[in-house]
Amino acid sequence: MAVSLASQTRALSPRRILPGFGLSLGYTVFYLCLLVLIPLSTVFIKAATLSYTQFWAIISDPRTIAAFKLTFGASALAAIVNAFFGLLVAWTLTRYTFPGRRIIDGLVDLPFALPTAVAGICLSAVYADNGWIGRFLAPHHIHVAYTQTGVFVALVFIGLPFVVRTVQPVLQDLETDVEEAAASLGATRAQIFARVLLPTLFPAVLTGFTLAFARALGEYGSVIFISNNIPLQGEIVPKLIMDKLDQFDYAGATAIAVVMLLASFALLLLINLLQWWSRKRLGMG
Amino acid sequence: MSIEIRGVSRNFGEFAALKDVSLLVETGELVALLGPSGSGKTTLLRIIAGLEYPTAGTILFHGEDAIRRDARSRQVGFVFQHYALFRHMTVFENIAFGLRVRPRALRPTKADIEARVMELLKLVQLEGLAQRFPSQLSGGQRQRVALARALAVEPKVLLLDEPFGALDARVRQELRSWLRRLHDELHITSVFVTHDQEEALEVADRVVVMNKGQIEQVGSPEDVYENPANPFVMNFLGSVNLFHARVHDGEAHIGPSTAPVTTAQDAATIGYVRPHELDILRSRNGGPTLEAVIKHIHAIGPTVRVELARRDNGELMEAELTRERFTELALKNGEQVHVKARKLQVFTEDYSI
Repeated sequence: MAVSLASQTRALSPRRILPGFGLSLGYTVFYLCLLVLIPLSTVFIKAATLSYTQFWAIISDPRTIAAFKLTFGASALAAIVNAFFGLLVAWTLTRYTFPGRRIIDGLVDLPFALPTAVAGICLSAVYADNGWIGRFLAPHHIHVAYTQTGVFVALVFIGLPFVVRTVQPVLQDLETDVEEAAASLGATRAQIFARVLLPTLFPAVLTGFTLAFARALGEYGSVIFISNNIPLQGEIVPKLIMDKLDQFDYAGATAIAVVMLLASFALLLLINLLQWWSRKRLGMG
Repeated sequence: MSIEIRGVSRNFGEFAALKDVSLLVETGELVALLGPSGSGKTTLLRIIAGLEYPTAGTILFHGEDAIRRDARSRQVGFVFQHYALFRHMTVFENIAFGLRVRPRALRPTKADIEARVMELLKLVQLEGLAQRFPSQLSGGQRQRVALARALAVEPKVLLLDEPFGALDARVRQELRSWLRRLHDELHITSVFVTHDQEEALEVADRVVVMNKGQIEQVGSPEDVYENPANPFVMNFLGSVNLFHARVHDGEAHIGPSTAPVTTAQDAATIGYVRPHELDILRSRNGGPTLEAVIKHIHAIGPTVRVELARRDNGELMEAELTRERFTELALKNGEQVHVKARKLQVFTEDYSI
C-alpha cells in the first residue's frame, strides 16, 4: 500500500519541461566555485590573519584612502562619460548610413582586444606635454599624462565599447513608428528624444555603464603607464596592492583587496537592482 | 475638415508606389483605402499624415495647402497597425502624451488633462486600466489605447493604418463595428487602410479600391460591390467565377449557352459571375444553362458552397446556395446538374488578372 502511494506521488509531482536542470545547475555552481568563489575566498582567509586593529590601520591609512578615492572616483566619472558618448556613438552607427560606418563600427571594439599596457603607452605618448595632443593642451596648463586626468582618460578608453555594444542592439530594434506616433501627437524632436527614446534606452545604457564601471575598477595595465603612480596622488588601488605584494606584505594586500571586493560588489548589486526596477517598468521583467 | 489629394506621386528609387493619385475626402466621411499589399495605400495614408512626402502633387486640408506642414503641425491623429504605444508609460500617460508635449501657453492644466484622459478612457471602454502598462493589455485593448491617444489632441483628421490587422478574427469583428459606432458619434473625417474587403465594405462610407499605385474605383460599398469598374475590383471584392465567352449581337456565348450583356462590341471576352449569382437547377427549364458535375459540397454555415466542373471543358466553378435551396435540391457529390447565371459581368477593356 505504502509503496503504491509513493510511486503515485512521484508520478504526480510536477516535472520540468526543460530537461537537464540538475546537471546544468550543478555544473554552473561547480564552475563558479572553481574559477571565482574558491580563489576569491583565499583573499578573505588571508585577510583574516590580521587583527581588527591591524586591519583598520591598513584601511584607514591616508595612502589607502587616497587610492580608493581615485579608483572609484575616476572609474565612476569615466563610466558616466562613456554612458553619454557611448550612446552618441551607438546612435550615429545605427541611425545613419555613411561611408566608413563599418570601419568605425570595428574600431569601437579595439579597446577590448588591445593589450591594456599598449593602450596606456600610446595614450601617455600622445597626451604627454610634448605629445601630439598634449602639446596643444600644455600651454593652457592642462596636463593629462602622469596626472589624475590621465587615469580618467585611460579608463574612458577601456570602457567605451561596453556602452556602445549594449545600446546598439536596443537602438536597432527600436520601431520607428513610436517616434512617428510621438511626432504626429505634436512632440518636437527634443521632446521625442527626452520622453520617448531615452526612457526606452535607459536600461541598456545602465547596463553599459555598469560594465564600463566594473571594468574600470579592476583596470591596471593602461593606468600604470599613464599615471605618475605617486602615493596620495596618482596611485590606484590595484597599484597599491601590487606595491604591498612587492614588499611581501601579503596580509596588507588582501585587506585592501577585501574592501575593494566588497565595495565593488555592493555597488554592482545596487546598479543591478536599479536596472531590474527600470526593466520591470518597461514591461520586460 | 476635408482632405484633397491632388496628383500625388511617390517614387522609391525606381519603384513608383503612387502614380498621380487624386481623391477628395469630404468632411466627416469615413473612407477606406482598400487594396492588396504594395498597392500604395499605406504610402498614401502616410503622405496625408506628413510622415512621408510625395515626389509630386499636393495635399490640401480644408482647401489649404498642407504639404509644407510637418506631421507635428498637421493636427492629424494616426493609429498604427502595431499600436506604437510608449512602453514605458502607463495607459494614462500614453493618452496624456499629446497634451503634455504642447507648448506651455497651449497646455491644459493638470486637472483638465486628467479629465480629458478619463473621458477618453470611458469612450474606448477602458476605465479602470489607466495605471496599467501596455505590456499588461491585450491586442484589442492596446489598439483602443492607441485610438484614445490619437483622439486626445482633438485631431481634425483621423488616419488608421490597418488598425485591426494584428488582431485575431473575433476581436477584429468587434472593433470593426465599434469603430463604425464611434465614427457615427464623433463625425471626425477618417481614412483607414485595409487589405480586407469585408472590413472596408462593412465599415466605410466610401471605399477607394487601389492597385499598383493607382485608384481603380471610388464609390459606396454597395456601388463598388454591385458595379465593379473593372475585373480587378470585381476579383478583389470577393470570390468570382471566370467564363471564357464570345460576345455577339449583345449576347455573351459561353459554351452552348448564352447570356445577354450590355456591351455591343463583338469580341472574345471573359464573363464574371459571383458564386451567389450562380443557381443550380435539376433540369434545363428552358433557359440558357451549362451542364456540370458536382465535385464537392461544403455545407457549413448559413450558405452552402458547391464546387462544380463543367461537362464540356472540365473547368471548375463555385456556386453559393442558401441552405433552403440546398435542401430543396437535395444535391449529392457526383450528380449531374444544370447551372444558370443570374448576373454576368463582362468588361470591355482587355484586362488580365
